[in-house]
Amino acid sequence: MKNSLPVSLRVNGEPYELLIPPWRTLLEVLRENLCLTGTKRSCQEGQCGACTVLLDGKPINSCLYLAVEAQGKEILTIEGLSRSAGGLHPVQKSFVEKGAIQCGFCTPGLVLATVALLDQNPNPSEDEIRKAVVGHLCRCTGYVQIVEAILGAASEMAKQERGQATFVTDV
Amino acid sequence: MSYLRRLPKFEYLAPRTIAEVCALLAGHADEARLLGGGTDLVLQMRRREVTPRYIIGLKGVSELAFIREAACGSVIIGTMTTIEAIVSSAVMRKRYGILSETAAEIGSPEIRQVATIGGNLAGALPCADFPPALMVLGARLKLQSQQEERMVPLEDFFLRFERTAARRDELLTEIHLAAPPPFSGGVYLNFHDRHSMDMTTTGVAAFVTSETEHRSFRDVKIALGSSAPVPLRAKKAEAALRGRDFSEEILEEAASLVCAEAEPRDSWRASKAFRLELIKTLTKRALDGAWKKALASSNGRNA
Repeated sequence: MKNSLPVSLRVNGEPYELLIPPWRTLLEVLRENLCLTGTKRSCQEGQCGACTVLLDGKPINSCLYLAVEAQGKEILTIEGLSRSAGGLHPVQKSFVEKGAIQCGFCTPGLVLATVALLDQNPNPSEDEIRKAVVGHLCRCTGYVQIVEAILGAASEMAKQERGQATFVTDV
Repeated sequence: MSYLRRLPKFEYLAPRTIAEVCALLAGHADEARLLGGGTDLVLQMRRREVTPRYIIGLKGVSELAFIREAACGSVIIGTMTTIEAIVSSAVMRKRYGILSETAAEIGSPEIRQVATIGGNLAGALPCADFPPALMVLGARLKLQSQQEERMVPLEDFFLRFERTAARRDELLTEIHLAAPPPFSGGVYLNFHDRHSMDMTTTGVAAFVTSETEHRSFRDVKIALGSSAPVPLRAKKAEAALRGRDFSEEILEEAASLVCAEAEPRDSWRASKAFRLELIKTLTKRALDGAWKKALASSNGRNA
């Protein structure tokens, strides 16, 4: 059995050349090889959303994705989001301001899912928001504040968009 | 408990073309599994339900990911087309609304981004949502191996739980859909305990074509998910409706016939009796919804 395969990843804008056994998930490689522990491991079944990262700008469950299949892809984790925004990203700020963080374990996944949602749909309805984060569990059950935070982030980002057309959210 | 469990070890093969996949299958058929999106297989591997020696990854086979309008109004879907690509496809929305609507209700955005329509079929799980919706559209599947290419009607594809008519050396490459007839419409309805992110307890798809006078059924197709060991057509109920006038009473009659054809099981998810109640109610609603769509379709392009 061949052990490791060479894989090139771009994570948060940084290029990585890795040798990865094919049975390792993207989640394991992010946390254990790259020490990016902001991406959380929880259900390992694609039910809870704690391991969500953006792969070429789209949200995926990194616990179900083989790291070797991320070859050549652009990955954004929660660590890269604040770096690219220079301080907290407006979505992160809104989560803090609206009290949408309790224990914080679901927060990285929810924040990244929100960034992907607002990229596709800058002005979502409450119903669209609930559908977009359906794959995320918050055991503190602060769902109302989470929805409020996403609505707040949408309006804040729209304001910034109007004021300052060059706000960068992509890495 | 799979919390900290790693995946079992395997060798990863990364073909780039259908021909390469077929060659790998011919060489390793008994020890290999095909990995599409992985949203089912990765879980099964973590639970050690399957421990293949070789994983043939299909994400790099770009010729399997497409939605193509073909001659005579038919549409061909490549099996590595993601659920999200079906949700966002204008062709699907225009021609086969039933498939766009079914796709939009599957899993979460994260799951839809990687899960594929081919995996939803080839996994042959009774709770899958695409089989009933595609069966009422009369979908046909293309299977390819090094030896041959063959077409199989979807309704003959499922043999038993997790088993399909595809041989071990065959790859499911395409789903073929004929153009929907004029004055037709389809609806798939399913029930879960939670609104989303849950396996389907029972699902019913109906596709109806109305006569030009818009009073009677010209043709009816009904298919069930999670109602038997495999997805199945309710052909007795279909035959009973054909040529009859639409009415509340005939929906009742059809629902009873569908229940007689279903063989739901008792499971922790739902009892057999509850599933039969669901089948009855969902059949009536699906037929009613499909009938309304058929009447509303101006030129038969809104399946």
